[in-house]
Amino acid sequence: MEEGYTSLPASHLLGSVPAVIAEDKTTSVASEAASSANLHLFPPSNGGYQAPGTPSGADEQTTSSWQGVFSISSYSSYFNVDTDVVVERIISSVYPMNDFYRKIDGNPDLYGPIWISATLMFMLAALGNVGTYVMEKRNDSSTTWTFDVNYVEWSACAIFGYVLAVPAAFYFLLQYFGFRTSLVRLWCMWGYSLFIFMPICMLLVVPVELFRWIIIILAGTASSWFIAVNLKACTQSSDLMILIVGAMVLQFALALFIKMFFFP
Amino acid sequence: MSHADTIPFHSSSQSDIDEIENLINSDALSATVSAARPPSPPRASFSSAALPPPYQKVPRSSSLPLPPPPVTPSAAAPRPGGGVAADGFGSPPDTLTEPVLDTVKRDLTRIVSNLKLVVFPNPFREDPGKALRDWDLWGPFFFIIFLGLTLSWSASVKKSEVFAVAFAVLAAGAVILTLNVLLLGGRIIFFQSLSLLGYCLFPLDIGALICSLKNNVVIKIVVASITLAWSSWAAYPFMSAAVDPRRKALALYPVFLMYVSVGFLIVAID
Repeated sequence: MEEGYTSLPASHLLGSVPAVIAEDKTTSVASEAASSANLHLFPPSNGGYQAPGTPSGADEQTTSSWQGVFSISSYSSYFNVDTDVVVERIISSVYPMNDFYRKIDGNPDLYGPIWISATLMFMLAALGNVGTYVMEKRNDSSTTWTFDVNYVEWSACAIFGYVLAVPAAFYFLLQYFGFRTSLVRLWCMWGYSLFIFMPICMLLVVPVELFRWIIIILAGTASSWFIAVNLKACTQSSDLMILIVGAMVLQFALALFIKMFFFP
Repeated sequence: MSHADTIPFHSSSQSDIDEIENLINSDALSATVSAARPPSPPRASFSSAALPPPYQKVPRSSSLPLPPPPVTPSAAAPRPGGGVAADGFGSPPDTLTEPVLDTVKRDLTRIVSNLKLVVFPNPFREDPGKALRDWDLWGPFFFIIFLGLTLSWSASVKKSEVFAVAFAVLAAGAVILTLNVLLLGGRIIFFQSLSLLGYCLFPLDIGALICSLKNNVVIKIVVASITLAWSSWAAYPFMSAAVDPRRKALALYPVFLMYVSVGFLIVAID
């Protein structure tokens, strides 16, 4: 409705922006209630900027639903977390017995996955070089330090590719099997599941081969178990055991890839 | 000379648009070419006379008609027809015809002043927000290119890939960090933030230069840590002021991550 917009008394002044502060507060309160229910839709459909006076009720989904993809403010609902919330989610991702899924159900965030992946990428590149050098030095003490920049590129492709592609694939598979789940929650879950690899990276620098293998197998198992428990909570059924087993295998394969490529 | 210098205008009784028209008319009488200037929104920024850089920004306290600005007629005399140098509203034609050295000098002085404000912050300075208002992107551009070149020069193999990685990490990193602050609900202007993050690279530039001259690992680690801490300390006030205090750590951590990774690149490139 446009009548709220045009009834403002200042609109006759050329070039002036109508003061919309009062209306904005009331519509923003209503829009928050509506938008929190929409978090399960990934491409944000609230059209970004909510013009004052437009109805922010349940009928906004049909109008201008594609414009929300290109405006930043519509994505900020996925980053609505505070520091302590993020820390708590990280801690509960390390112990796979906790109910991580219930914690993110109401407010899945994308901050964790993005920055955990970025940190892991840099750590893999840096510590991979250090670990490779230390291992070679142990075998042959005349090697000199070289920094292989390609590790940065490989780790970026591997980590970000994994975090983007695998949850998307599972989203489509789950949709095919009739489960309505949300893509953002899957991304959130897979992103936080990578946190355990960060301290593991630091331990993998130790140049004892057996120790490295033991560490990575333990980490891979813990991470796969985390994924399995949360996928089960997400789908609330055990008919899809094959999917869950597939997810576990993929996570374990990532762990093995980390070991074999970055810490040979 | 033109009558522009001696018109005593009463801003209470005359709108600025009328003033501009008067000035243009009087300039037309004295047969000088005046800049085709569209009527400006009421800004009353006629203290152009005392400003050597023609488009220096005048403080914006003027959405209302000001008390008569301190026009100094004598200083306005050498600029016939250009007495209406509006602040950044469209640079007067002088900057198109001035010598290149003047333009370069002006940009360099702005870079130096922004650098001093951002990287060597004086807690007693009178206008903490000045660096934010006068943002520019030349400084960040120079610093990023310099850092990439230094790292690439000090690498013994794969020089072009080192440059590519450094440049990509810094440029994309600055953009992503700004988006991060915006997404967390912070209030920051995109280009201001890019400019600030670029200027905060200056200590790392110095560190990279020192590390490329000395090849001792311990010295490199010490120098890189010191410059990294300095960069983070310089970026801290701007980033933390932009977001909600409960999310301060969420906004600052990626900045720290980027500087640590660049610091590691500096140490690790042999």
